[in-house]
Amino acid sequence: MSEQLHDLEMRAVYARTLIELANENPNIICMEADLSKASGTNPAFLTAHPDRFINAGVAEADMICIAGGMAVEGKIPFCASFTPFATRRVYDQVTISVAYANTNVKIVGTAPGITAGPNGGTHMCFQDMAIMRAMPNMIVLSPCDTYELRECIKWMAAHEGPVYVQLSRMKQPAVFDESYRFNPDKAVKVREGKDVTLVTTGYMTQFAVKAANELAAEGITVDLLHYPSVKPFDTATLIESAKKTGKVVTVENQSIIGGLGGAVCETLSENHPTPVKRLGIPDKFGEVATEDYLFGKHGFGVEHIKKACR
Amino acid sequence: MSEYSPDVVRKLEEKANQMRQDIVVMVGAAQSGHPGGSLSAADIVAALYFNVMRYDVKNPKWADRDRFVLSKGHASPVLYAALAEAGFFPRAEIITFRNINSHLQGHPDMKKLAGVEFTTGSLGQGLSGAGGMAIAGKLDKKDYRVFCMIGDGESEEGQIWEAAMSAAHYKLDNLTAITDWNGLQIDGPNAEIMNVNPLPDKWRAFGWNVIEIDGHDFTQILDALSPESRVEGKPTMIIAKTVKGKGVSFMENACDWHGKAPSEEQVKTALAELCA
Repeated sequence: MSEQLHDLEMRAVYARTLIELANENPNIICMEADLSKASGTNPAFLTAHPDRFINAGVAEADMICIAGGMAVEGKIPFCASFTPFATRRVYDQVTISVAYANTNVKIVGTAPGITAGPNGGTHMCFQDMAIMRAMPNMIVLSPCDTYELRECIKWMAAHEGPVYVQLSRMKQPAVFDESYRFNPDKAVKVREGKDVTLVTTGYMTQFAVKAANELAAEGITVDLLHYPSVKPFDTATLIESAKKTGKVVTVENQSIIGGLGGAVCETLSENHPTPVKRLGIPDKFGEVATEDYLFGKHGFGVEHIKKACR
Repeated sequence: MSEYSPDVVRKLEEKANQMRQDIVVMVGAAQSGHPGGSLSAADIVAALYFNVMRYDVKNPKWADRDRFVLSKGHASPVLYAALAEAGFFPRAEIITFRNINSHLQGHPDMKKLAGVEFTTGSLGQGLSGAGGMAIAGKLDKKDYRVFCMIGDGESEEGQIWEAAMSAAHYKLDNLTAITDWNGLQIDGPNAEIMNVNPLPDKWRAFGWNVIEIDGHDFTQILDALSPESRVEGKPTMIIAKTVKGKGVSFMENACDWHGKAPSEEQVKTALAELCA
Protein backbone atom coordinates (compact mmCIF):
# COMPACT_ATOMS: atom_id res chain seq x y z
CA MET A 1 0.00 0.00 0.00
CA SER A 2 1.50 3.30 -1.02
CA GLU A 3 1.53 6.29 1.28
CA GLN A 4 -1.81 7.99 1.66
CA LEU A 5 -2.28 11.69 2.22
CA HIS A 6 -3.83 11.21 5.66
CA ASP A 7 -0.71 9.33 6.77
CA LEU A 8 1.07 12.67 6.68
CA GLU A 9 1.03 15.48 9.20
CA MET A 10 -1.16 18.41 8.19
CA ARG A 11 1.89 20.70 8.13
CA ALA A 12 3.71 18.34 5.80
CA VAL A 13 0.78 18.52 3.41
CA TYR A 14 0.76 22.32 3.70
CA ALA A 15 4.45 22.46 2.78
CA ARG A 16 4.11 19.87 0.02
CA THR A 17 1.14 21.67 -1.54
CA LEU A 18 2.89 25.02 -1.36
CA ILE A 19 5.96 23.53 -3.08
CA GLU A 20 3.77 22.05 -5.83
CA LEU A 21 2.12 25.43 -6.36
CA ALA A 22 5.50 27.16 -6.36
CA ASN A 23 6.84 24.71 -8.94
CA GLU A 24 4.19 25.93 -11.33
CA ASN A 25 3.83 29.56 -10.31
CA PRO A 26 6.96 31.71 -9.82
CA ASN A 27 4.93 34.21 -7.78
CA ILE A 28 4.22 31.88 -4.86
CA ILE A 29 6.20 33.02 -1.79
CA CYS A 30 6.58 31.24 1.55
CA MET A 31 6.86 33.67 4.47
CA GLU A 32 7.64 32.77 8.03
CA ALA A 33 8.41 34.54 11.30
CA ASP A 34 10.89 32.14 12.89
CA LEU A 35 8.38 29.28 13.19
CA SER A 36 9.13 27.64 9.85
CA LYS A 37 10.02 24.31 11.41
CA ALA A 38 6.73 24.31 13.31
CA SER A 39 4.82 25.20 10.11
CA GLY A 40 6.52 22.39 8.20
CA THR A 41 7.99 24.64 5.50
CA ASN A 42 11.54 24.25 6.81
CA PRO A 43 13.38 22.36 5.46
CA ALA A 44 10.85 21.30 2.78
CA PHE A 45 10.02 24.60 1.06
CA LEU A 46 13.30 26.22 2.03
CA THR A 47 15.19 23.48 0.21
CA ALA A 48 12.91 23.39 -2.82
CA HIS A 49 12.70 27.16 -3.38
CA PRO A 50 15.27 28.96 -1.21
CA ASP A 51 14.92 32.24 -3.11
CA ARG A 52 11.19 32.37 -2.41
CA PHE A 53 11.42 31.51 1.28
CA ILE A 54 11.39 34.77 3.23
CA ASN A 55 11.95 34.57 6.97
CA ALA A 56 11.03 37.84 8.67
CA GLY A 57 12.43 36.70 11.98
CA VAL A 58 10.45 37.25 15.16
CA ALA A 59 8.71 40.25 13.61
CA GLU A 60 5.20 39.30 12.57
CA ALA A 61 4.04 42.88 11.92
CA ASP A 62 6.90 43.37 9.46
CA MET A 63 6.13 39.99 7.86
CA ILE A 64 2.50 40.90 7.16
CA CYS A 65 3.31 44.30 5.64
CA ILE A 66 6.27 42.97 3.61
CA ALA A 67 3.75 40.47 2.26
CA GLY A 68 1.39 43.35 1.44
CA GLY A 69 4.17 45.09 -0.50
CA MET A 70 5.10 41.90 -2.34
CA ALA A 71 1.46 41.25 -3.21
CA VAL A 72 1.23 44.71 -4.76
CA GLU A 73 4.04 43.56 -7.07
CA GLY A 74 2.14 40.43 -8.11
CA LYS A 75 3.53 37.98 -5.60
CA ILE A 76 1.30 35.56 -3.67
CA PRO A 77 2.78 35.37 -0.16
CA PHE A 78 1.65 32.70 2.31
CA CYS A 79 2.50 33.97 5.82
CA ALA A 80 2.49 31.41 8.62
CA SER A 81 2.81 31.63 12.38
CA PHE A 82 1.06 30.31 15.46
CA THR A 83 -2.56 31.52 15.38
CA PRO A 84 -2.17 34.19 18.11
CA PHE A 85 0.79 35.77 16.29
CA ALA A 86 -0.72 35.40 12.81
CA THR A 87 -3.94 37.14 13.85
CA ARG A 88 -4.39 39.04 17.11
CA ARG A 89 -0.78 40.25 17.38
CA VAL A 90 -0.93 41.74 13.87
CA TYR A 91 -4.60 42.64 13.76
CA ASP A 92 -4.03 46.19 12.58
CA GLN A 93 -1.37 45.20 10.04
CA VAL A 94 -3.71 42.57 8.58
CA THR A 95 -6.63 45.01 8.71
CA ILE A 96 -4.87 47.84 6.85
CA SER A 97 -2.07 46.36 4.71
CA VAL A 98 -4.03 43.23 3.74
CA ALA A 99 -7.81 43.54 4.12
CA TYR A 100 -8.41 47.29 3.67
CA ALA A 101 -5.77 47.48 0.93
CA ASN A 102 -7.27 44.23 -0.44
CA THR A 103 -3.86 42.74 -1.18
CA ASN A 104 -3.42 39.15 -2.30
CA VAL A 105 -1.94 37.92 0.99
CA LYS A 106 -2.62 34.52 2.53
CA ILE A 107 -2.34 34.06 6.29
CA VAL A 108 -1.87 30.65 7.86
CA GLY A 109 -2.57 30.33 11.60
CA THR A 110 -0.97 27.16 12.94
CA ALA A 111 -1.78 25.20 16.10
CA PRO A 112 -5.28 26.65 16.48
CA GLY A 113 -7.18 26.61 19.76
CA ILE A 114 -6.58 23.71 22.09
CA THR A 115 -4.06 22.09 19.72
CA ALA A 116 -1.53 24.56 21.19
CA GLY A 117 -1.68 22.17 24.19
CA PRO A 118 1.48 22.31 26.27
CA ASN A 119 2.32 25.90 25.25
CA GLY A 120 -0.58 27.02 27.41
CA GLY A 121 -2.71 30.13 27.67
CA THR A 122 -0.38 32.61 25.98
CA HIS A 123 -0.34 30.54 22.81
CA MET A 124 -3.86 29.14 22.97
CA CYS A 125 -5.83 31.48 20.74
CA PHE A 126 -9.58 30.99 20.88
CA GLN A 127 -10.67 34.13 19.05
CA ASP A 128 -8.83 34.13 15.70
CA MET A 129 -11.90 32.94 13.82
CA ALA A 130 -14.07 35.64 15.38
CA ILE A 131 -11.67 38.51 14.80
CA MET A 132 -10.72 37.49 11.28
CA ARG A 133 -14.38 36.95 10.42
CA ALA A 134 -15.21 40.48 11.56
CA MET A 135 -12.76 41.92 9.02
CA PRO A 136 -14.18 43.05 5.65
CA ASN A 137 -12.60 41.41 2.56
CA MET A 138 -11.22 38.53 4.64
CA ILE A 139 -12.10 34.91 3.88
CA VAL A 140 -11.84 32.48 6.81
CA LEU A 141 -11.19 28.76 6.27
CA SER A 142 -10.66 25.83 8.60
CA PRO A 143 -10.08 22.49 6.84
CA CYS A 144 -10.56 19.29 8.82
CA ASP A 145 -8.14 16.85 7.17
CA THR A 146 -5.24 16.61 4.73
CA TYR A 147 -7.45 16.17 1.65
CA GLU A 148 -9.40 19.29 2.43
CA LEU A 149 -6.31 21.21 3.47
CA ARG A 150 -4.60 20.49 0.16
CA GLU A 151 -7.64 21.70 -1.78
CA CYS A 152 -7.98 24.80 0.39
CA ILE A 153 -4.35 25.80 -0.13
CA LYS A 154 -4.69 25.35 -3.90
CA TRP A 155 -7.87 27.40 -3.88
CA MET A 156 -6.20 30.14 -1.82
CA ALA A 157 -3.39 30.43 -4.37
CA ALA A 158 -5.86 30.72 -7.23
CA HIS A 159 -8.18 33.16 -5.44
CA GLU A 160 -7.26 36.85 -5.78
CA GLY A 161 -7.60 38.44 -2.33
CA PRO A 162 -6.96 38.02 1.40
CA VAL A 163 -7.58 34.61 2.97
CA TYR A 164 -7.01 33.30 6.49
CA VAL A 165 -6.73 29.57 7.11
CA GLN A 166 -6.38 27.62 10.36
CA LEU A 167 -3.83 24.83 10.15
CA SER A 168 -3.71 22.18 12.84
CA ARG A 169 -0.21 20.83 12.42
CA MET A 170 -0.37 17.17 13.35
CA LYS A 171 -1.86 14.07 11.70
CA GLN A 172 -5.65 14.10 11.49
CA PRO A 173 -7.93 11.17 10.70
CA ALA A 174 -9.38 11.26 7.22
CA VAL A 175 -12.90 12.62 6.93
CA PHE A 176 -12.64 12.87 3.15
CA ASP A 177 -10.62 11.15 0.42
CA GLU A 178 -8.83 11.89 -2.84
CA SER A 179 -12.10 12.80 -4.53
CA TYR A 180 -12.69 15.81 -2.27
CA ARG A 181 -13.12 19.21 -3.98
CA PHE A 182 -13.32 22.46 -2.02
CA ASN A 183 -16.11 24.97 -2.57
CA PRO A 184 -15.99 28.03 -0.27
CA ASP A 185 -19.68 28.69 -0.84
CA LYS A 186 -20.94 25.28 0.26
CA ALA A 187 -21.11 23.46 3.56
CA VAL A 188 -20.32 19.74 3.29
CA LYS A 189 -23.08 17.43 4.47
CA VAL A 190 -20.99 14.69 6.07
CA ARG A 191 -24.00 12.77 7.45
CA GLU A 192 -27.66 13.05 6.49
CA GLY A 193 -30.19 12.96 9.31
CA LYS A 194 -33.50 14.34 10.52
CA ASP A 195 -33.33 14.64 14.32
CA VAL A 196 -30.75 17.35 14.92
CA THR A 197 -28.43 19.61 12.93
CA LEU A 198 -24.80 19.43 14.08
CA VAL A 199 -22.56 22.19 12.71
CA THR A 200 -18.76 21.93 12.87
CA THR A 201 -15.57 23.21 11.30
CA GLY A 202 -11.87 22.40 11.20
CA TYR A 203 -10.33 20.36 13.97
CA MET A 204 -13.67 19.49 15.64
CA THR A 205 -15.22 17.82 12.62
CA GLN A 206 -13.52 14.47 13.31
CA PHE A 207 -15.13 14.41 16.79
CA ALA A 208 -18.51 15.43 15.40
CA VAL A 209 -18.35 12.53 12.94
CA LYS A 210 -17.62 10.14 15.79
CA ALA A 211 -20.52 11.55 17.81
CA ALA A 212 -22.87 11.29 14.83
CA ASN A 213 -21.89 7.66 14.22
CA GLU A 214 -22.47 6.71 17.83
CA LEU A 215 -25.81 8.56 17.94
CA ALA A 216 -26.91 6.64 14.84
CA ALA A 217 -26.44 3.43 16.82
CA GLU A 218 -28.86 4.90 19.38
CA GLY A 219 -31.36 5.64 16.65
CA ILE A 220 -30.70 9.40 16.53
CA THR A 221 -29.87 10.63 13.04
CA VAL A 222 -27.73 13.74 12.72
CA ASP A 223 -27.66 16.20 9.84
CA LEU A 224 -23.92 16.88 10.09
CA LEU A 225 -22.79 20.07 8.36
CA HIS A 226 -19.06 20.69 8.10
CA TYR A 227 -18.05 24.24 7.18
CA PRO A 228 -14.56 24.44 5.66
CA SER A 229 -15.35 28.12 5.05
CA VAL A 230 -16.78 30.08 7.95
CA LYS A 231 -16.64 33.20 5.77
CA PRO A 232 -18.21 33.12 3.26
CA PHE A 233 -20.82 31.23 5.23
CA ASP A 234 -23.27 28.98 3.40
CA THR A 235 -26.53 30.13 4.99
CA ALA A 236 -28.86 28.21 2.67
CA THR A 237 -27.71 24.74 3.72
CA LEU A 238 -27.97 25.67 7.40
CA ILE A 239 -31.46 27.17 7.12
CA GLU A 240 -32.73 24.22 5.11
CA SER A 241 -31.35 21.78 7.68
CA ALA A 242 -32.73 23.78 10.64
CA LYS A 243 -36.17 23.82 9.04
CA LYS A 244 -35.97 20.04 8.80
CA THR A 245 -34.62 19.23 12.29
CA GLY A 246 -35.74 22.19 14.39
CA LYS A 247 -32.68 21.83 16.64
CA VAL A 248 -29.08 22.95 16.11
CA VAL A 249 -25.84 22.18 17.94
CA THR A 250 -22.53 23.88 17.02
CA VAL A 251 -19.06 22.73 18.04
CA GLU A 252 -15.77 24.48 17.45
CA ASN A 253 -12.17 24.61 18.64
CA GLN A 254 -12.69 28.29 19.45
CA SER A 255 -14.52 30.62 21.79
CA ILE A 256 -18.28 30.25 21.39
CA ILE A 257 -18.35 34.05 20.99
CA GLY A 258 -18.13 35.26 17.42
CA GLY A 259 -16.87 32.19 15.58
CA LEU A 260 -18.82 29.34 13.98
CA GLY A 261 -21.49 29.34 16.70
CA GLY A 262 -21.81 33.08 16.26
CA ALA A 263 -22.24 32.72 12.50
CA VAL A 264 -24.91 30.06 12.99
CA CYS A 265 -26.87 32.16 15.52
CA GLU A 266 -26.65 35.28 13.35
CA THR A 267 -27.97 33.36 10.37
CA LEU A 268 -30.80 31.53 12.11
CA SER A 269 -32.02 34.43 14.24
CA GLU A 270 -32.47 36.52 11.09
CA ASN A 271 -33.86 33.79 8.86
CA HIS A 272 -35.39 30.92 10.78
CA PRO A 273 -35.20 31.28 14.57
CA THR A 274 -34.22 27.88 15.96
CA PRO A 275 -32.88 26.78 19.37
CA VAL A 276 -29.08 26.56 19.16
CA LYS A 277 -26.64 25.03 21.64
CA ARG A 278 -23.07 26.28 21.15
CA LEU A 279 -20.22 24.01 22.26
CA GLY A 280 -16.62 25.17 22.44
CA ILE A 281 -14.61 27.35 24.78
CA PRO A 282 -16.75 29.62 26.94
CA ASP A 283 -15.47 33.14 27.66
CA LYS A 284 -12.20 31.83 29.09
CA PHE A 285 -8.46 31.86 28.38
CA GLY A 286 -6.47 28.70 27.70
CA GLU A 287 -3.98 26.93 29.94
CA VAL A 288 -1.43 24.15 29.76
CA ALA A 289 -3.60 21.10 29.25
CA THR A 290 -4.35 18.00 27.27
CA GLU A 291 -7.18 17.92 24.78
CA ASP A 292 -9.25 15.56 26.94
CA TYR A 293 -8.82 17.82 29.94
CA LEU A 294 -10.12 20.83 28.03
CA PHE A 295 -12.93 18.85 26.42
CA GLY A 296 -14.01 17.82 29.90
CA LYS A 297 -13.55 21.20 31.51
CA HIS A 298 -15.45 23.14 28.86
CA GLY A 299 -17.79 20.39 27.66
CA PHE A 300 -17.17 19.98 23.97
CA GLY A 301 -15.80 16.43 23.52
CA VAL A 302 -17.58 13.55 21.83
CA GLU A 303 -19.73 12.70 24.87
CA HIS A 304 -20.77 16.34 25.30
CA ILE A 305 -21.64 16.61 21.62
CA LYS A 306 -23.79 13.48 21.90
CA LYS A 307 -25.52 14.78 25.01
CA ALA A 308 -26.28 18.12 23.37
CA CYS A 309 -27.70 16.35 20.31
CA ARG A 310 -30.04 14.07 22.23
CA MET B 1 28.66 67.93 -3.85
CA SER B 2 27.31 67.97 -7.38
CA GLU B 3 26.58 71.11 -9.34
CA TYR B 4 23.01 71.42 -10.57
CA SER B 5 22.12 74.02 -13.14
CA PRO B 6 20.10 76.98 -11.86
CA ASP B 7 17.32 75.86 -14.19
CA VAL B 8 17.03 72.47 -12.49
CA VAL B 9 16.87 74.00 -9.04
CA ARG B 10 14.54 76.80 -10.14
CA LYS B 11 12.14 74.29 -11.67
CA LEU B 12 12.03 72.26 -8.46
CA GLU B 13 11.50 75.40 -6.40
CA GLU B 14 8.56 76.29 -8.60
CA LYS B 15 7.10 72.79 -8.35
CA ALA B 16 7.49 72.72 -4.57
CA ASN B 17 5.94 76.15 -4.28
CA GLN B 18 2.94 75.09 -6.38
CA MET B 19 2.60 71.96 -4.23
CA ARG B 20 2.67 74.06 -1.04
CA GLN B 21 -0.10 76.27 -2.42
CA ASP B 22 -2.12 73.15 -3.25
CA ILE B 23 -1.54 71.71 0.21
CA VAL B 24 -2.89 74.88 1.83
CA VAL B 25 -5.86 75.03 -0.54
CA MET B 26 -6.64 71.35 -0.04
CA VAL B 27 -6.57 71.38 3.74
CA GLY B 28 -8.41 74.71 3.81
CA ALA B 29 -11.16 73.39 1.54
CA ALA B 30 -11.54 70.19 3.55
CA GLN B 31 -11.30 72.08 6.87
CA SER B 32 -9.43 68.98 7.96
CA GLY B 33 -6.03 67.40 7.35
CA HIS B 34 -2.36 67.72 8.19
CA PRO B 35 -0.59 70.76 6.73
CA GLY B 36 2.56 70.88 8.92
CA GLY B 37 4.15 67.60 7.92
CA SER B 38 2.99 68.01 4.33
CA LEU B 39 4.76 71.34 3.98
CA SER B 40 7.95 70.03 5.62
CA ALA B 41 8.10 67.19 3.08
CA ALA B 42 7.25 69.24 -0.01
CA ASP B 43 10.79 69.89 -1.29
CA ILE B 44 11.84 66.23 -1.03
CA VAL B 45 8.64 64.96 -2.64
CA ALA B 46 8.99 67.57 -5.41
CA ALA B 47 12.53 66.37 -6.09
CA LEU B 48 11.33 62.76 -6.28
CA TYR B 49 8.44 63.40 -8.67
CA PHE B 50 9.99 66.11 -10.83
CA ASN B 51 13.62 65.05 -11.09
CA VAL B 52 14.54 61.68 -9.61
CA MET B 53 11.81 59.09 -10.22
CA ARG B 54 10.90 57.51 -13.53
CA TYR B 55 7.20 56.93 -14.11
CA ASP B 56 4.55 57.30 -16.77
CA VAL B 57 1.30 59.02 -15.81
CA LYS B 58 -0.41 57.39 -18.80
CA ASN B 59 0.68 53.98 -17.55
CA PRO B 60 0.66 54.20 -13.74
CA LYS B 61 1.31 50.46 -13.37
CA TRP B 62 4.34 50.45 -15.73
CA ALA B 63 6.38 47.55 -14.34
CA ASP B 64 9.72 49.38 -14.49
CA ARG B 65 8.60 52.59 -12.77
CA ASP B 66 10.16 53.76 -9.53
CA ARG B 67 7.82 53.50 -6.54
CA PHE B 68 7.16 56.02 -3.77
CA VAL B 69 5.46 54.97 -0.53
CA LEU B 70 4.33 57.72 1.83
CA SER B 71 4.52 55.79 5.08
CA LYS B 72 3.60 58.92 7.05
CA GLY B 73 0.23 58.72 5.34
CA HIS B 74 -1.32 61.65 7.20
CA ALA B 75 0.85 63.89 4.99
CA SER B 76 -1.38 62.81 2.09
CA PRO B 77 -1.78 66.43 0.87
CA VAL B 78 1.88 66.53 -0.21
CA LEU B 79 1.43 63.29 -2.19
CA TYR B 80 -1.82 64.46 -3.78
CA ALA B 81 -0.21 67.80 -4.67
CA ALA B 82 2.65 65.96 -6.41
CA LEU B 83 0.33 63.55 -8.22
CA ALA B 84 -1.88 66.43 -9.40
CA GLU B 85 1.15 68.40 -10.57
CA ALA B 86 2.47 65.31 -12.37
CA GLY B 87 -0.88 64.82 -14.09
CA PHE B 88 -2.24 61.68 -12.42
CA PHE B 89 -5.52 63.54 -11.83
CA PRO B 90 -6.84 67.05 -12.60
CA ARG B 91 -5.68 69.71 -10.16
CA ALA B 92 -9.25 71.04 -9.89
CA GLU B 93 -10.11 67.93 -7.89
CA ILE B 94 -7.82 68.78 -4.99
CA ILE B 95 -10.69 70.63 -3.32
CA THR B 96 -12.52 67.29 -2.95
CA PHE B 97 -9.86 66.19 -0.42
CA ARG B 98 -11.54 64.36 2.49
CA ASN B 99 -14.97 64.64 0.86
CA ILE B 100 -17.45 61.77 0.68
CA ASN B 101 -16.71 59.64 -2.42
CA SER B 102 -13.49 61.53 -3.26
CA HIS B 103 -10.51 59.48 -4.43
CA LEU B 104 -8.48 61.80 -2.22
CA GLN B 105 -9.12 59.96 1.03
CA GLY B 106 -7.86 61.32 4.36
CA HIS B 107 -4.96 58.90 4.06
CA PRO B 108 -3.67 57.50 0.74
CA ASP B 109 -5.69 54.59 -0.65
CA MET B 110 -4.06 52.79 -3.57
CA LYS B 111 -7.36 51.27 -4.65
CA LYS B 112 -8.94 54.70 -5.06
CA LEU B 113 -6.21 56.78 -6.73
CA ALA B 114 -3.78 55.89 -9.52
CA GLY B 115 -0.22 56.79 -8.56
CA VAL B 116 -0.64 55.82 -4.91
CA GLU B 117 1.64 52.80 -4.54
CA PHE B 118 0.65 51.56 -1.08
CA THR B 119 -2.24 52.21 1.26
CA THR B 120 -0.93 53.95 4.36
CA GLY B 121 -2.13 55.87 7.38
CA SER B 122 -1.65 53.38 10.18
CA LEU B 123 1.87 54.45 11.09
CA GLY B 124 4.81 52.10 10.82
CA GLN B 125 3.45 49.87 8.07
CA GLY B 126 4.58 51.65 4.90
CA LEU B 127 8.30 51.01 5.33
CA SER B 128 7.66 47.26 5.62
CA GLY B 129 5.47 47.44 2.51
CA ALA B 130 8.21 49.29 0.65
CA GLY B 131 10.63 46.57 1.77
CA GLY B 132 8.27 43.98 0.26
CA MET B 133 8.25 45.89 -3.04
CA ALA B 134 12.05 46.03 -2.98
CA ILE B 135 12.31 42.27 -2.31
CA ALA B 136 9.90 41.65 -5.21
CA GLY B 137 12.04 43.87 -7.45
CA LYS B 138 15.11 41.80 -6.64
CA LEU B 139 13.25 38.52 -7.23
CA ASP B 140 12.00 39.82 -10.58
CA LYS B 141 15.46 41.17 -11.49
CA LYS B 142 14.01 44.63 -12.06
CA ASP B 143 16.12 47.74 -11.61
CA TYR B 144 13.35 49.99 -10.30
CA ARG B 145 13.98 51.90 -7.08
CA VAL B 146 11.61 52.04 -4.13
CA PHE B 147 11.45 55.27 -2.14
CA CYS B 148 9.70 55.56 1.18
CA MET B 149 9.17 58.58 3.41
CA ILE B 150 8.66 58.09 7.14
CA GLY B 151 8.09 60.62 9.90
CA ASP B 152 10.20 61.24 12.97
CA GLY B 153 7.15 60.72 15.19
CA GLU B 154 6.36 57.61 13.16
CA SER B 155 9.83 56.34 14.07
CA GLU B 156 8.47 55.75 17.57
CA GLU B 157 6.52 52.79 16.14
CA GLY B 158 8.30 49.51 16.89
CA GLN B 159 7.52 48.20 13.42
CA ILE B 160 9.81 50.84 11.87
CA TRP B 161 12.71 49.10 13.55
CA GLU B 162 11.50 45.68 12.44
CA ALA B 163 11.59 47.00 8.89
CA ALA B 164 14.99 48.57 9.57
CA MET B 165 16.28 45.11 10.45
CA SER B 166 14.70 43.23 7.56
CA ALA B 167 15.68 45.73 4.85
CA ALA B 168 19.30 45.55 5.98
CA HIS B 169 19.15 41.77 6.38
CA TYR B 170 17.84 41.31 2.84
CA LYS B 171 20.41 43.84 1.50
CA LEU B 172 17.76 46.02 -0.12
CA ASP B 173 20.03 48.53 -1.87
CA ASN B 174 17.10 49.27 -4.20
CA LEU B 175 15.29 50.86 -1.23
CA THR B 176 15.86 54.48 -0.24
CA ALA B 177 13.98 55.78 2.77
CA ILE B 178 13.75 59.38 3.88
CA THR B 179 13.00 60.56 7.40
CA ASP B 180 11.17 63.88 7.40
CA TRP B 181 12.93 65.07 10.53
CA ASN B 182 10.94 68.17 11.46
CA GLY B 183 11.27 67.44 15.17
CA LEU B 184 7.59 67.87 16.00
CA GLN B 185 4.71 65.46 16.43
CA ILE B 186 1.06 66.03 17.25
CA ASP B 187 1.50 66.23 21.02
CA GLY B 188 4.71 68.28 20.98
CA PRO B 189 8.44 68.08 20.20
CA ASN B 190 9.80 64.52 19.73
CA ALA B 191 12.33 65.23 22.43
CA GLU B 192 9.56 65.80 24.97
CA ILE B 193 6.98 63.23 23.86
CA MET B 194 9.24 60.27 23.09
CA ASN B 195 12.85 60.88 22.24
CA VAL B 196 13.78 59.25 18.93
CA ASN B 197 17.34 60.53 18.88
CA PRO B 198 20.01 59.93 17.88
CA LEU B 199 18.29 59.00 14.62
CA PRO B 200 21.35 58.88 12.30
CA ASP B 201 23.28 56.69 14.75
CA LYS B 202 20.34 54.34 15.13
CA TRP B 203 19.98 53.80 11.38
CA ARG B 204 23.74 53.31 11.02
CA ALA B 205 23.67 50.76 13.82
CA PHE B 206 20.86 48.92 12.00
CA GLY B 207 23.13 48.56 8.97
CA TRP B 208 21.83 51.27 6.68
CA ASN B 209 23.75 53.69 4.47
CA VAL B 210 22.87 56.96 6.23
CA ILE B 211 22.98 60.39 4.60
CA GLU B 212 22.20 63.52 6.58
CA ILE B 213 20.92 66.53 4.69
CA ASP B 214 19.06 69.82 4.90
CA GLY B 215 15.66 68.74 3.56
CA HIS B 216 15.03 72.15 2.01
CA ASP B 217 18.28 72.41 0.04
CA PHE B 218 17.71 70.99 -3.44
CA THR B 219 21.38 70.39 -4.12
CA GLN B 220 21.65 68.23 -1.02
CA ILE B 221 18.30 66.54 -1.72
CA LEU B 222 19.24 65.63 -5.30
CA ASP B 223 22.67 64.41 -4.26
CA ALA B 224 21.21 62.16 -1.58
CA LEU B 225 18.51 60.75 -3.85
CA SER B 226 20.85 60.11 -6.79
CA PRO B 227 21.70 56.49 -7.63
CA GLU B 228 25.37 57.26 -6.94
CA SER B 229 24.67 57.85 -3.26
CA ARG B 230 23.65 54.25 -2.76
CA VAL B 231 25.95 51.63 -1.26
CA GLU B 232 25.88 48.12 -2.66
CA GLY B 233 24.16 45.67 -0.35
CA LYS B 234 22.67 48.28 1.98
CA PRO B 235 19.40 50.19 2.06
CA THR B 236 19.82 53.96 2.24
CA MET B 237 18.27 56.22 4.86
CA ILE B 238 18.27 59.95 4.18
CA ILE B 239 17.78 61.83 7.41
CA ALA B 240 16.42 65.15 6.21
CA LYS B 241 16.33 68.02 8.68
CA THR B 242 13.20 69.94 7.84
CA VAL B 243 10.97 72.69 9.19
CA LYS B 244 7.42 71.73 10.00
CA GLY B 245 5.03 74.03 8.16
CA LYS B 246 7.87 75.22 5.87
CA GLY B 247 6.91 78.09 3.58
CA VAL B 248 3.97 79.46 5.57
CA SER B 249 5.39 81.75 8.25
CA PHE B 250 2.68 81.26 10.86
CA MET B 251 2.82 77.47 10.48
CA GLU B 252 6.60 77.09 10.65
CA ASN B 253 7.86 75.17 13.68
CA ALA B 254 4.43 75.39 15.26
CA CYS B 255 3.22 72.10 16.62
CA ASP B 256 -0.41 73.16 16.48
CA TRP B 257 -0.34 72.99 12.69
CA HIS B 258 0.33 69.25 12.67
CA GLY B 259 -3.31 68.45 12.13
CA LYS B 260 -5.24 71.71 11.97
CA ALA B 261 -6.94 73.36 9.00
CA PRO B 262 -6.39 77.06 8.25
CA SER B 263 -9.38 79.41 8.17
CA GLU B 264 -10.37 81.09 4.90
CA GLU B 265 -8.45 84.19 6.00
CA GLN B 266 -5.37 82.13 6.91
CA VAL B 267 -5.49 80.37 3.52
CA LYS B 268 -5.42 83.78 1.84
CA THR B 269 -2.50 84.92 3.98
CA ALA B 270 -0.59 81.70 3.31
CA LEU B 271 -1.16 81.87 -0.45
CA ALA B 272 -0.11 85.51 -0.51
CA GLU B 273 3.16 84.55 1.19
CA LEU B 274 3.78 81.62 -1.14
CA CYS B 275 3.01 83.71 -4.23
CA ALA B 276 5.11 86.66 -3.16
